[in-house]
Amino acid sequence: MQEVKTYIQSLFSAKGIEIKPNRLNQFEEFVALEDSLAAVKHIFENQNSLMNKWKLKNRISDILSLQIVIPNGTIGKNYSGHIDFEKLNLSDLIFEQFEGLEEIGLYFNKTNDCIEGIPSLSGDLKFTLLFKVNGEDENEELNKKVIQLIVNPDPKSLWKDIPSDPTDQFWKEDDVSISDKIGEKNIVISSKRGRSHKNVGSFRDDDFAYAHFTKTGWSIVAVSDGAGSYSLSRVGSQIACNAVIDFFENHADSEKSKEFEDKIISYNETGEQSILKEIEVLAKQNLYRATVFVHNKIKADAEETFNTHPELFNNPKAKSYLDYYHATFIFALFKKYEFGYVILTFGVGDCPIAVMNIEQTETTLLNWLDVGEFGGGTRFITQSDIFHSTEHPMATRFNFTIVQDFSYLFLMTDGIYDPKFVVEANLEKSEKWLEFMEDLKGKNEDHVAVEFNPENTQIADQLSNWMDFWSQGNHDDRTLAIVY
Amino acid sequence: MRRLPVYFLLDTSGSMNGEPIQALNNALSGMINTLRSDAQASESLWISVITFDREVNEISPLTELPSFQLAEIVCPRSGPTNTGKALELLFDKVKNEVKIGSPTQKGDWRPLLFIFTDGKPSDPQLYSEMIPKIKSLNFGSIVGCAAGSLADHSKLQELAETVVHLDTADSSTLKQFFKWVSDTIEQGNKSMGTVDTVSLPAPPSEVHLVI
Repeated sequence: MQEVKTYIQSLFSAKGIEIKPNRLNQFEEFVALEDSLAAVKHIFENQNSLMNKWKLKNRISDILSLQIVIPNGTIGKNYSGHIDFEKLNLSDLIFEQFEGLEEIGLYFNKTNDCIEGIPSLSGDLKFTLLFKVNGEDENEELNKKVIQLIVNPDPKSLWKDIPSDPTDQFWKEDDVSISDKIGEKNIVISSKRGRSHKNVGSFRDDDFAYAHFTKTGWSIVAVSDGAGSYSLSRVGSQIACNAVIDFFENHADSEKSKEFEDKIISYNETGEQSILKEIEVLAKQNLYRATVFVHNKIKADAEETFNTHPELFNNPKAKSYLDYYHATFIFALFKKYEFGYVILTFGVGDCPIAVMNIEQTETTLLNWLDVGEFGGGTRFITQSDIFHSTEHPMATRFNFTIVQDFSYLFLMTDGIYDPKFVVEANLEKSEKWLEFMEDLKGKNEDHVAVEFNPENTQIADQLSNWMDFWSQGNHDDRTLAIVY
Repeated sequence: MRRLPVYFLLDTSGSMNGEPIQALNNALSGMINTLRSDAQASESLWISVITFDREVNEISPLTELPSFQLAEIVCPRSGPTNTGKALELLFDKVKNEVKIGSPTQKGDWRPLLFIFTDGKPSDPQLYSEMIPKIKSLNFGSIVGCAAGSLADHSKLQELAETVVHLDTADSSTLKQFFKWVSDTIEQGNKSMGTVDTVSLPAPPSEVHLVI
């Protein structure tokens, strides 16, 4: 009653209707009339309804402008994105349904408030949340809130496979795989163009070469990786591999070689360690001459190409024409003697050489890798300063090893080492090499196996298939040579 | 896996308020979308966004591209441009986030830095102090972008080896600029195998290279 009276008083006063003192009794009676009470009640109800409606409208606008962030998805991969209604302060939201999820291949799991499924579309996608807010009339239309969902494309589908231009002056076959006899051992090598090159139709930068010299009994395998950012590095890697074979076949100092072989014979007879030391020195001197030969061979070729095709040398970052031929370089020479195998190696850059013992229990890394603080911080055979570096003396790049026999001798570029061994330290671990062997023998995602059997005529194709393994972020050329 | 970390330092001082900040948001999100469909970027790119006005904010911490979500960039109505303070935060972030190669850890690719401003540093002393520190971080490339007539590119040149100038910070110019940025990032992805700085693609006509 008092409420009604106060309301009418303030209404009248707001509208300038005066209640004179002598009419107060009459006003009391007026307020108490049933009609008056009903009218005021009606007004109150309308007021409340107005206020509530406004509050609801405000609340809905708040919800519509609220940013609901859900994780990005990837096409074809299981997705689960939780919408935490409570945390988003949406406990007054009455969920009706999501529209447009099905088209993306997703659904809403009410039991855990998660959007789940496997996205079948990619891009900047949108779906709609249909909802009501507590207090809204049943007959009101549903509110619609658009939510953004980013679905990444399948990284594999983004890569193109554009063949390289076979008419290019320095064209190189995109993929090469080969198997052969090498001395008493067998060899299989595969060298394949990386995704980053396929994607733009550029050339394979990796290269390899091998030979067995029947005259001397020595075998050699060389692998090289041309620096991706230099236009003629694929030529550099090619020259490097071929030149080292040319050196040992045609240019090695025959007197020194004879001295070397004589010493080996006397070591074989006497078993004296001091002779072994001399052998090692002779071996390294010979290897040194080989690397100088390779360096000079690339230099001569670079100079010639520079003179005949100066237009190819247009990289402002290059300091000399030799830079265009930047290539890492590893090679291994081996020969069977009565006491076992002598293995000589050289390495510049980030490509490992390793030998596994005959029992297949131990693997020894035969070179150290030039790995910079940042990706790409490697060294090349084309850099003359590697020959007189005090920080990394040239002598330490050579290795002389004697093993009774070996099961596998590996040479690989970083295209294999990066995805399979990841870091340098793993190359020192025998168990990692055993895992690597298991992988080669079929313990991998695609169950692609290489059968290491001298009778296996398919081994080159098998290795070539194995080389196609998928590894995120590793799109470099891949070269792997295995002597077995 | 080696990552390519890319840092964006964006000026959100008062003068960017209004159309320029809108244009910046649109251009950035366009750039991210372009990169999402780039094969190499989708696998190795990591992005960090830091804004600076009176305050310095890391609005998107270093995140791999597939999971990256661009937060909306807002700016105050007025206030100073604390570029030096932004470099200070950047220095700490890069020191902590970018992985250096070691026998037991795969090193990242050398990071890239893009710094975008429409004015000049309000904290010039700190800015000058930070320059040698930032340079010591071994960025693959530092690209400065001066937008509008009030932007001071001489200050940017002290920091960045490449400085570009945009006449205006309108929508189409910024779009062109960030298209070029994404080309540069893709280039950064390709420049693998050397210790040299990343070579940049030629900028579009709306973007003037300051030499």
